[in-house]
Amino acid sequence: MSEENTKTIIETETAAPSPKKKKRIESNWITKSICLIVALALAAVAGKSFYDQRHFKETVVSAPGLTEIKYLSDYVPALKGTYGDTPIFVYDSGVEGGSVLYCGGTHPYEPATSLSAYIMMENIEVTKGKVYIMPQANYSGTTLGIMGNAYPKDFDIETEWGKATYKIGDRTSNPLDQWPDNFTYIHYPSKQSQAYNDLRNLNRCFPGRLDGTFTERVAYAIMELIRNENIDMAIDSHEASIMYPVVGVYVAHNDAMDIAMMAAMDLTSTTFDMKIEQSPGSLKGFSHREWGDYSDTLAVLMETPEPFIDRIVGPMTRDLMLTGQDLFLSFAGKKGLTYVPYELETGWPMEVRVGRHLSSAERLIYYMNMFFPEKEVQATWPGYNELVEKGCGAFLHNPEEADPELVFKV
Amino acid sequence: MTLVEAVIHYAYFVMAGIIGLFFLKGLFKREKHKGLAYDVVYAYCIIPFLLRILFIK
Repeated sequence: MSEENTKTIIETETAAPSPKKKKRIESNWITKSICLIVALALAAVAGKSFYDQRHFKETVVSAPGLTEIKYLSDYVPALKGTYGDTPIFVYDSGVEGGSVLYCGGTHPYEPATSLSAYIMMENIEVTKGKVYIMPQANYSGTTLGIMGNAYPKDFDIETEWGKATYKIGDRTSNPLDQWPDNFTYIHYPSKQSQAYNDLRNLNRCFPGRLDGTFTERVAYAIMELIRNENIDMAIDSHEASIMYPVVGVYVAHNDAMDIAMMAAMDLTSTTFDMKIEQSPGSLKGFSHREWGDYSDTLAVLMETPEPFIDRIVGPMTRDLMLTGQDLFLSFAGKKGLTYVPYELETGWPMEVRVGRHLSSAERLIYYMNMFFPEKEVQATWPGYNELVEKGCGAFLHNPEEADPELVFKV
Repeated sequence: MTLVEAVIHYAYFVMAGIIGLFFLKGLFKREKHKGLAYDVVYAYCIIPFLLRILFIK
C-alpha cells in the first residue's frame, strides 16, 4: 500500500462520526427550559431553608426582674435595622453595687452559650447590683450555618410544655452582612495579621472601630456597652472542640486572673474540672484581651467542651449536638488525644455544658465580690448540679402561659 | 470607610447578578458544548448567584 493511500484511509476513518457521537443528546429549547425549571425548583427548596434560618427567632420568657432592654444600636446607631443589632436584657436590683455582663453567641455555632444566657434570663434573681445579659452577641452569625458543613440548622430542647427550638449558627458573621472577605485581615488597632476569614469573626475584631467593617462595628458597640455602662466584670461564654487545648477553661485578662484562678480551684475541688489560662498579651482581637485592655472591666472568657464541632466526628446531627456522643471521638479519647476526658457512654450533653457555664459565671461573680466588695453583685440562677439533675427543659418557661410582656423573640 | 465598604458590598451583589445572567445566557445561547450535560451544569450554577442577589444565602 502506498503512503498516499494509507493517509487517505486514516483521514476517512477520522472524519467518520463515531457511534458514541451519534448517541449524544442534542439539547434544545425544551430541554434547556426543563433544566432551568428544575434548577429554580432546587433553588426554591434550598432557599426556603436558608430564608427560614435567616429569619427564625428564638423565644425566651424573662424572669420578672427585667428592668430594661438595650440594643447595640443604642451605642452605635449605624447598627440600627441591621443584623448586627441585638438586645441586651438588664436586670437591675435597684440596690447600689457592681455590674456584670454575660455574653452568649459570640460564636453562634456554640449554642450552649446562648442557651445558658436564656436559662439565666428565665430564672435570674438579682438582689444587689446589675446584670446585663446579651444572648446573641453576633446575631448575624446565627442566621446561617457554616458553609460546607452539613449540619442541622437548629435543635430542640424537650420541656414539660413542648419543644423549645434554638438555632445552630455559624462561627462568623453572615456574608450577606459583610462581603467580600479581604485576602488578608489586619487587626485594628494592633495591625497584627490574622486569618482572612477572621475579619467576620467577632472574637477577633475587638476592640472594633466605629467606621470599620460590619463585624468591627458590632465589636465596637460591645466595647461601648462595657465602657458606658461601667461593667465591672464581662464574661464571654464559648464552646470548644475537645481536641483543642483551650477547652474546659477560663481564659482571663491579667486584671481578672486572681478571680478566675480562685473560681477554677473552687469548681475543680467541688463541682467539675476547670482549668485557667492567662490571656496572652500578643493574641489580639479576643474578648479576654481587648475588653480588659480597652476598658476597666474584668474580662474572662469561658470554654465548655462541644464535641459537635470536633473535626473528626461522624454525622453532625441534632443528637450529636444534644448528647455529644460520637464513636470516632471515643477512639481519640481512648488514645488520650482529647484535652478533656471523653467516653462514648457519657459524651458531653447539653445540660452539662450549659450547667458548666452557669456555675462558672456564678463562681466568677462570687470571687469578684470577695476581691472587690465595692463591686458586689448578688444574683442567683440554676447551677451545674440542678442542670445535670433536671435537664435544660426544666428551667424553660412556657411562653403561652407567661406574661406576654416578659416573652421576647431574639 | 464605612461608605466605601458599603459600595464594595453592594457592588459584589451586582456582580453576582451579572454572573448569574451570564450563566443564563450560556444556558440558552452558547456556541460550544451544546450537550444536555452542559445545560444541567449551567442551570445548576445559576442557583448560588440567584440566592445571593435575593439576599437569601
